[in-house]
Amino acid sequence: MTLIVKTITRLTVGLILLYGIYIVLHGHISPGGGFAGGVIIALSFIHLMLAFGKETALKKLSEARASVMESLGAIMFLSIALLGLLGGYFFFNFFIHKGRPFTLFSAGIIPLCNIAICLKVGAGLFAIFVALVLFKGAKETE
Amino acid sequence: MSAYLLCFILFCIGLYCILRKRNIIKIVIGLGIVEYAVNLFLVLIGYRWRGRAPILAKGREILNMVDPLPQALVLTSIVIGLAITALIVAIAMRIYEKYGTFDITRIRRLKG
Repeated sequence: MTLIVKTITRLTVGLILLYGIYIVLHGHISPGGGFAGGVIIALSFIHLMLAFGKETALKKLSEARASVMESLGAIMFLSIALLGLLGGYFFFNFFIHKGRPFTLFSAGIIPLCNIAICLKVGAGLFAIFVALVLFKGAKETE
Repeated sequence: MSAYLLCFILFCIGLYCILRKRNIIKIVIGLGIVEYAVNLFLVLIGYRWRGRAPILAKGREILNMVDPLPQALVLTSIVIGLAITALIVAIAMRIYEKYGTFDITRIRRLKG
């Protein structure tokens, strides 16, 4: 890409990532949540890949690490749900202190679920994009 | 009522794009338009006049809120639509490798 695109990307890509993390962490008190924040985080990496090429983006977050993080999100969500069985039923809020409403540390297990969904969606979307890009490149060399 | 009609017009534009165009990429775009038209219709069903988003805020009582159920349904629908689009794009890329064209009338070997 041209110099203008590279400069603007270098300036804004960190802000996009930070905004995605903000959306995830405030998912239980404002609109947004795990899915929307995960998509924004994945878009920051895709932005990097579109501007600088696939080597730079894969150096930040490689294909194998994206796969590991995606699986980690699924396992984390499942284990949060299964830990609820300690209290008696599925998705039980196992925290003793519920927290004050409308503050950051509140709503029990919902922020943890948001983080798990964010890992799953962000890494999954990035992996889909990487798969489509690498798929095309691999066939051209044959 | 006019909003539903506009939704239907958007759906028809997408359907025209799927049925009439010959390029596979344009067909994928048409599928996306159809999907968004249906999502918009489902969200509009749950809308109430001057309704707020059904989210609790500090020190404010919600009297008139929109229906949250279609919104949750549409969120799931958007995720599935994303997966479908990725699948179709992957298939289109395979077709381009095999036949060297995106024109569906030139893909001869699929005909019986």
